[in-house]
Amino acid sequence: MFLRHLDLTTALRPSLLPDETLLFVQDAVGLYEGKYKIPSYQNGHAYLTSHRACYVDNEEPRKHAVAIDLKDVDRPEFYAGFLKSSAKVTLYPKASKRSSLSSRAPVVNPQISPSPTPPARHGSPLRSVTPSPAPPPPASATWICPICSFSNPVPSNFDPSTANANTPLPPCLACGIKPPLVHVAKAAIAALTSRQAAPGTIAPQNEGVSSQVSEATRQGRGAEVRPSFQCPRCTFENHPSLLTCEMCGASLISAVDRRLETIGGPNVRRAESPGPSLGNLSLEDDGKECIKFSFRAGGGAVFFERLKNALVQRKWLLQSAPPVPTPQLSSSTTDEGGLAVAAGSDSSQGGQRKVVGIAGLERRGHELRKNNEIVIGNAFEDLEALMTSAKEVIALAEQFSAQAGVANDNGNPEASALLSQSASALGLVTTKDMLGSGSGSDSLYISELSRNLAEFLTDDAKGVLKREGGIMSLVDLWAVFNRARGGVELVSPADFAKAAELWDKLKLPVRLRRFRSGLLVVQGRERTDERTIASLLAWLRELHDQPPEEECSWDWRRYGRGVTTQEAAERFGWSVGVATEELEMAEERGALCREQRLDGLRFWENWLVWGNGSSGGRV
Amino acid sequence: MDSTTSSGGGGGGGGGGFAFPPHYSFPPFFTLQPALTTRASQLHSWSQLIQAYCRHRRLFALSLVDAVDTDLFCNAALGRRLSLRDAREVIAWMCGKEGGERAEWIGAGNAAKGKEGAEARAACWVFWRRPEEWAGVIEGWVDATGQKNTVLTLYELLESDATKSQEFHGMDPELLKRSLQVLVKRGKAQVFGSEDSLGVKFF
Repeated sequence: MFLRHLDLTTALRPSLLPDETLLFVQDAVGLYEGKYKIPSYQNGHAYLTSHRACYVDNEEPRKHAVAIDLKDVDRPEFYAGFLKSSAKVTLYPKASKRSSLSSRAPVVNPQISPSPTPPARHGSPLRSVTPSPAPPPPASATWICPICSFSNPVPSNFDPSTANANTPLPPCLACGIKPPLVHVAKAAIAALTSRQAAPGTIAPQNEGVSSQVSEATRQGRGAEVRPSFQCPRCTFENHPSLLTCEMCGASLISAVDRRLETIGGPNVRRAESPGPSLGNLSLEDDGKECIKFSFRAGGGAVFFERLKNALVQRKWLLQSAPPVPTPQLSSSTTDEGGLAVAAGSDSSQGGQRKVVGIAGLERRGHELRKNNEIVIGNAFEDLEALMTSAKEVIALAEQFSAQAGVANDNGNPEASALLSQSASALGLVTTKDMLGSGSGSDSLYISELSRNLAEFLTDDAKGVLKREGGIMSLVDLWAVFNRARGGVELVSPADFAKAAELWDKLKLPVRLRRFRSGLLVVQGRERTDERTIASLLAWLRELHDQPPEEECSWDWRRYGRGVTTQEAAERFGWSVGVATEELEMAEERGALCREQRLDGLRFWENWLVWGNGSSGGRV
Repeated sequence: MDSTTSSGGGGGGGGGGFAFPPHYSFPPFFTLQPALTTRASQLHSWSQLIQAYCRHRRLFALSLVDAVDTDLFCNAALGRRLSLRDAREVIAWMCGKEGGERAEWIGAGNAAKGKEGAEARAACWVFWRRPEEWAGVIEGWVDATGQKNTVLTLYELLESDATKSQEFHGMDPELLKRSLQVLVKRGKAQVFGSEDSLGVKFF
């Protein structure tokens, strides 16, 4: 199967495999199969990664997300778009995966019409005219009701060889009369035999081809004649250079303008494209034809370029490939090596084995440093080399920063931990040049950044949000995020704020909250005010059982004691600013009350409100 | 006018006799709350406390500057006190509709309401009974003792042995006059005489 289901991250972006990198994103993309639109896959984001081309729907991302493994792609084709037809990138599946006919189709087609739209020529007629020939889906067999002669599908689990009188049979869909078992069994067997015969006799498929051909020629001709404008009033096809209709004299300029808008206009998003659409889509269907990405807001050309590059690079091969032989590896294993250094150190290897104790340790350290030197030296020789050995360099960088963290332990361990994570975070960056140009590129960048941020925050491995007590100010997040980007492609504060504001719209699992003072904080969506208040109150209730450190004149068993914002910040791992805001929020809701003293503000359980009613019972 | 803490009878009003409500020993009670619902509840509690305290001590008016140092506004055991400004807030709230008009600034009734600033708001009436209510009480007593159509002096009403058991015994003369005015308006009494020797006749 060509189209695969796609797993999404919490931020509704494709979850990337290890080593997979994001290459390009474009919104306002529709999906075609053959020349038919796939319903409910018509308005979404296209993500191109080093391994896959993905489609994620805007409306129902979880349901309508599919990906095509680039390793299954035979070749891509680009169609620049014409008049109302958007630019499209067509992906042809590899021949081995397809039926004999469909692999023939691309060969046949260019001969018929070498026009700029070959992708439209072949494909789904096959699907609609004959059942797909690959592994026979049993549902394609039909039995004809002897009562009303309605052709019903034979149930998929029906096996004529094992069926007996007890096998449940569904009644006729039209008249509701149960068919005799023999009747259905006959139909099933007939369908089986005809299907087995099908690969030999391509009779119905030939029919399909001929219809394709005629359609293709018709369309090809249409495409040649097309460079003319239909008069909006009398539908006469005028020569393109005319400004008014030859027939009725109506102005054609508006029609021309509209055309320009559709092609290049910045804000025109066509929800409905005029192409025919496919009745229903079943992802499990094997007789899949080529898949087209239709770029309704531009970006197709860049997508195509990057796709071509990705197909050339074949990053997915690396996944299973053994690691590049490194000097480090060769020196330790002392195999054939392949590297001069390794060969050179081979002789000393014998000596190393004998040396034990501190001298041995020192020697090992020395060799390690030497190897690192070589890795770094090789990597930075030129950019290409850096790209290929990026993995090792990152590993090395992480190792170094880990060592640095150990060295200045008393410094700030958190910062160094963040630094070491930064390299691994490189994988998920969304940068401006990764995104499609044209109309919506700016908003697209923001929305991608927004998703990126949500991923960054909710990533369990990093636990950015968790470490901050589930809530952190936007400014802190901005700093941490930019730091994690490793100092490249930094995000501007303005973009950052905009991206954060999009969380709600994109239904991401984090939310931006504005406190009364105007402080902006980030917290998980499930973290509501009620929860915060409940945890605050639980804490204050605990204090009823702990005598306060200093002398106090009130009944602490009954009232507990007041807490400062510092105490709350310590207790919940919040920053002081956040603690202040949370406490004030709880006060606003009537859960807490305050006491202003010379030595500062303290917050208490609110006995002023419910103290009145319940005091009699409590005392 | 400057009848500061005019303690009238003073017979039973011992200092320690007053039972303070439980929230009097709750430290945040002495900080005015910014949150609206909490604040309303707190002001209500304060209003109740002040009225109960004044009723107990038979106080009819308070001078705030002096009162903030008394145990009404100052909980010495707790080491907390309501500041003068917050006390003014409380009284101001009691003066308003929300507080049931249980207090009134002395001297502010004439014309300049509040405009003269904090100086004008130095003392206030505390109406643990409103003048209308006092009028009702006095009328009820007159009814009960069959003194309709007799003339009584104000001094008699306040200080005579006959009224000793009554709540208005030892009342502030100023407040008594206001209460009688209410009765006059209702046509139930007539006040006559000069400044020092005022008499009242009930119908």
